[in-house]
Amino acid sequence: MPDIQPTTDPARPKSSLRAWFDVRGRSVSTLAFALNRLTGLGLTAYLFLHLIVLSQLLRGPEGWNDFLRIAKSPLFLMLDVVLLFGVVYHMFNGIRVALVGMGMANRQQKGLLYGLVGTGLVLFVVGAVLIFTK
Amino acid sequence: MAEQMIEFKVSRYKQGQPGPTYQTFKMLCDENTTVLVALQDIRRDLDDSLTLRHSCHHASCGTCGMRINGKEELSCVVKVLELGTPVVTVEPMRNLPIISDLVVNMEPFYDRFNSVGLPFIRGSEFLEDAEIAEGLEAYGRYENCIECNLCMSACPIMGSDETYLGPATLAAAWRVVEEPRGLPVKPLLDWVDSENGCWRCHVAYECNVACPSGVYPGDTIMSLRRQLTKRKFRGLFGK
Amino acid sequence: MNSALPHRSLEQMAARRDRSGSLWLIQAFSGLILVILLGLHMIAHHYVVEGGLRDYQQVLDYVNNPVVFILQLSFLVLGVGHGLLGVRAIITDMRPSASTLRVVNWVLIVIGAVAIVYGFYLALALQRMAG
Repeated sequence: MPDIQPTTDPARPKSSLRAWFDVRGRSVSTLAFALNRLTGLGLTAYLFLHLIVLSQLLRGPEGWNDFLRIAKSPLFLMLDVVLLFGVVYHMFNGIRVALVGMGMANRQQKGLLYGLVGTGLVLFVVGAVLIFTK
Repeated sequence: MAEQMIEFKVSRYKQGQPGPTYQTFKMLCDENTTVLVALQDIRRDLDDSLTLRHSCHHASCGTCGMRINGKEELSCVVKVLELGTPVVTVEPMRNLPIISDLVVNMEPFYDRFNSVGLPFIRGSEFLEDAEIAEGLEAYGRYENCIECNLCMSACPIMGSDETYLGPATLAAAWRVVEEPRGLPVKPLLDWVDSENGCWRCHVAYECNVACPSGVYPGDTIMSLRRQLTKRKFRGLFGK
Repeated sequence: MNSALPHRSLEQMAARRDRSGSLWLIQAFSGLILVILLGLHMIAHHYVVEGGLRDYQQVLDYVNNPVVFILQLSFLVLGVGHGLLGVRAIITDMRPSASTLRVVNWVLIVIGAVAIVYGFYLALALQRMAG
């Protein structure tokens, strides 16, 4: 029956990114996966930005002190908090992904997710408080 | 539980249409009405052009898979009133081309799945001492997977790259690796040790949630990766 | 039939044994090492030096420490590698054709190499300034 062969695939998301980014109705592990990718992209961008910022050191104390003045502004400290969240989440979820992805403790992956990311969130809150108080 | 009038928002698609649309039907449901039965009632009483696929009505054949309120389910075992929503949204499975309404083309699924060469029925090791009934050579048992495609529909990576072998295929591959019974294991491990094989999985575990048959495809993918990791490390140290 | 496999044929889909597993393992192990390095980096920067590492001279002295120097450069290489492998994984999930993926691979290699070379130059220049 050649006439029943489909000619289109209308159910497929138009964007391939939507398949992993659209977490509506998905389980907590997919949420963890999507967040891992987003934080990963953010951290990669930050790493390159960090290298550029460090080049200010080559311009001597003035260049660096100018940068420090901006770095101590409340807006910059808020960005520090966002960065800390990205680092802590990606680190702790990453430990789980690395272990589970090598077939270690894969049956306990959900427990690992709650345990590790929970620990990470506690550290994040402590770190965020320290950023504003120290 | 008293009968309730439930609204079914059903995805409709026929060949040649630009994309699926939704049509709403009202159907009286009692505590025993399953989504499949409700859809059959809709087809019988309200719109005989509604297309759906089913067979056994008891979660054995794996043919009535669809998305109910966004989640992959076998519609024959989902009771409408237990969903607890006045509107029940019914859509075809994801990641396969739609043939008509709720029926998808399973060809890409079997293209992958059958490549593994998994025997569908194996000799049962549980009934070794039993007296074999007349007319049988041996007692057999079925593998767990009912080939319903729910895991492939739920997998976010299948959604972003359709060349991925997918959870059901990899689960079948692991069954052969775990219990080869004369089948060659090395070529199968080579086959899944690839970009579109088990390394494409990103540990989202939607397949485990969707599987109605206790296969836990996500865990089997990780078991394959454990084997491959060991093999790579052994290779690294020249063993 | 317009099959569900528009970019690569079934034979290509079943392509045997490639480097993806090794790349994934490199990413996993680099990630685990980065957890340790980042932990040391955070502690050293923010807790060892009273009030945190901020002052120009403090930063230069810190970079001039040979242990820190090696840790920073390891962090640079592993961080760049881990990050760019992650970017590649996201791109491969977006169904690139084989030729596009080849271009992507080279672009990422060049970006990584430039970042690492620049990072080494920066670290050596700062060490010279401190020394």
